[in-house]
Amino acid sequence: MNQDAWLTALTDELRRHGVDAGVTRHVVAEAASHLSDSGEPADSAFGAPSAYARAVVDSVGRARRPAGEVRLRATDIYKRYGRRPVLSGVELTVRAGQVAAIVGANGSGKSTLLRICAGLVSPDRGTVEVHGALGYCPQDGGTSDFLLPDEHFVLVGAGRGLGRDVARADGRGRAAALDWDAGTARPARQLSGGTRQKLNLVMAELGDPDVMLLDEPYQGFDRGSYVDFWERVWSWRDAGKAIVVVTHLLDRLDRVDLVVEL
Amino acid sequence: MDGRHGQWLRGVLDLCVLALLARRESYGYEIAQALDAAGLGRIQGGTLYPILLRLQRTGLVVAGWREGDAGPARKYYRLTPEGAEALRRSAGEWDGFADAVGRIFREVVPR
Amino acid sequence: MRVVAEMALREIVRRRAVLLILLLFPLAFYLSRRGDHLGQSVRFVCLGVGWALSTAALFAGGAARSMEPRLRLSGYRTWHLFGGRLLALWTVGVAIAAPYLLLIRLDQPQVRHGAVALIMALTVAVSAPLGLAISAVLPRELEGTLVLLAIVALQMVMDPAGSASRLLPFWFSREIGTYAIDHTDGGYLNRGVAHGLGFFALLLTVVAVGAAVRLRRRPHLRML
Repeated sequence: MNQDAWLTALTDELRRHGVDAGVTRHVVAEAASHLSDSGEPADSAFGAPSAYARAVVDSVGRARRPAGEVRLRATDIYKRYGRRPVLSGVELTVRAGQVAAIVGANGSGKSTLLRICAGLVSPDRGTVEVHGALGYCPQDGGTSDFLLPDEHFVLVGAGRGLGRDVARADGRGRAAALDWDAGTARPARQLSGGTRQKLNLVMAELGDPDVMLLDEPYQGFDRGSYVDFWERVWSWRDAGKAIVVVTHLLDRLDRVDLVVEL
Repeated sequence: MDGRHGQWLRGVLDLCVLALLARRESYGYEIAQALDAAGLGRIQGGTLYPILLRLQRTGLVVAGWREGDAGPARKYYRLTPEGAEALRRSAGEWDGFADAVGRIFREVVPR
Repeated sequence: MRVVAEMALREIVRRRAVLLILLLFPLAFYLSRRGDHLGQSVRFVCLGVGWALSTAALFAGGAARSMEPRLRLSGYRTWHLFGGRLLALWTVGVAIAAPYLLLIRLDQPQVRHGAVALIMALTVAVSAPLGLAISAVLPRELEGTLVLLAIVALQMVMDPAGSASRLLPFWFSREIGTYAIDHTDGGYLNRGVAHGLGFFALLLTVVAVGAAVRLRRRPHLRML
């Protein structure tokens, strides 16, 4: 890559990560003057633009965009199964551009809360308000054993008003972001558990919903895909979505905006 | 930065940068050259500048752009009092650490 | 709804074992009674088609369950979902019934073919919602299959003249069958058609209401 192309790519990458415009300009200018002083090619002095951008972002810290309007508001949620109260007066407000994590031990009602927010289960008391389109990814299930991934995309896409080819292309693109080639023609029952979950996740994000409810969708993901998943979550946040992730893995909590502990 | 040398470097590079800035303010490429001259080898821009950004964020250095008479404008870095303090403390810790390691090696490696 | 129907059809067609059963079971029924009293095989093959399609519908309903909530979230209305599925099942039903109608036409020239076609049409119409309705009430396929087995067995065993047998969903098949094979008066035809249409409407309602309840927009959620 020639120097100008490299610098342009770096600018794009930094912007994509939500780095402040002034900081971006300074970082790129400093890199340019270093390259002219040293005479080295950009790729060997700094590496790939995406890698350098990530290193810069980690050092600078993300520009915390002021959160937008409320996209999900769950108020006073009560739910009991039989005699056992599972949720008592839970409140959750998530704005555009925020990521909320729901944590807690097994059986603490995390999935139930998410299902209530998605409208799949009725609470005993409480209301949920959603502004915009809703996407939901369950922990498992949710796929059709005998259909191909492409057919899943078309099916979900048609519901959201997308044409066949658009839905297929959209689905494959999102699958690629999770390091999965969805074009291979294998019905869902022949996919590995982790891959089937990727299908689940892609179906949830198809059509670009404004609110995303994800119930530990990374079951069966290998380490690389797990990292990719969280990168997707951050990029959705930057794009202004409201995201709720149920998780019992605590390694990413320092980067989410809200934590709800059940 | 790979291998053991890389691991050692990862541990002390930011302190070395602070030390160089303690002598006088400087800009990125100049710092890289000084590190090389001191014997640490070629430090890539991709490694050095994130370190400088982090030192800025934690308040150990401050930076300002200075117009060059010949060549492009450069971002000059300067040590802050907090940076000087952190350097003094870490340099002392490093001496203790290096002595301890040296003592262990002296027993094994005949001098 | 077209997309739902298409995908439901693809799902069924990919299950090779199910397809084989759908196509060959009625044949087994037919051949088992061919040596018998004339026309008995016609009655049996119609029941066979009914049973095979109901079973296919049962399994189709079960398979769809995990995807329906998320399809609802994607923007489908409830009637799109069960409507599309029924459409796919009826298409499969017609595809199975047609060769058997042809077989009967060629093999048994003495029966009233129009009436037989009517039996097949009503059988297909009734079987699809029957299977879906059972799968809604009994979500596990084993229990559902046993219930279907019981229905077909009772259908074969119970005396069609008795009033209790009218409670069975395929009673019309034997009634119109009598008209078609034994060339009786039109009363049998009318009673059979009324029963068939009645059960069709009833089962369709059960499926629709069941789906509406299961996939309802819950009152606690306000989408704005």
